[in-house]
Amino acid sequence: MGMVRVISKHGDDRVQWNEQDAQVGGAEAMAAIREAERIFTRERARGATAFRVEAGKPTERIELFDPQAEQIILVPRVIGG
Amino acid sequence: MIEELLVYVLLEIVVVLFSLLLWRLTRDSNLMRSEANRRANELLRSVLNSEQYDQLTRKGYLDIKSPRDPGCIYRVPRRQGLVKVIEQGSHKANLCLQPREAVPDDDIVVMHKLMIEADEETYLQTANTFAPTNSDTWLNRIIWYY
Repeated sequence: MGMVRVISKHGDDRVQWNEQDAQVGGAEAMAAIREAERIFTRERARGATAFRVEAGKPTERIELFDPQAEQIILVPRVIGG
Repeated sequence: MIEELLVYVLLEIVVVLFSLLLWRLTRDSNLMRSEANRRANELLRSVLNSEQYDQLTRKGYLDIKSPRDPGCIYRVPRRQGLVKVIEQGSHKANLCLQPREAVPDDDIVVMHKLMIEADEETYLQTANTFAPTNSDTWLNRIIWYY
């Protein structure tokens, strides 16, 4: 399962997809990936930073949406306080 | 006389309705905040290992090792506040970095952890850095004992 989580005042908003279903062209999984990518692009345009977080691997900052990612966390724009 | 009474009754109704509305808004807002905190905590637990989560709940802060300097740790408070930079056990600086929109406290811990571990340079460039104040310096000795 892949997941995009957007940190917000609601805690986090998330979209999940089944990557294996997407590989065989499953319509539901493809729609979820498109929705996840749309949210990713929208939040990046707003200044959010995206991180790929996967168990047992170092956290990585990413610039482009990756449908293969286990989990992508989008952090809203940050400023020095 | 009757008109006066009607005005009082109407006023009373308005006050009661307003109180009900206020109560409902407060209740909804508390429910939303509590749900946001629950979700933020779920994300935090998924990002931290059990040792890190244990430290955060017991001590009220999370120590994150600097990826580029093994002798440096960032002490991130569980509640919003300054991040302490501790080098070789000594409190060297305070950092202030926050999201532009209000998010639950647990999400802020996640934000610090991800940024430090994946992009420490941008983290340091974005944060405002302050020298420890006099009241901070006596904490240096205590830090050694933790």
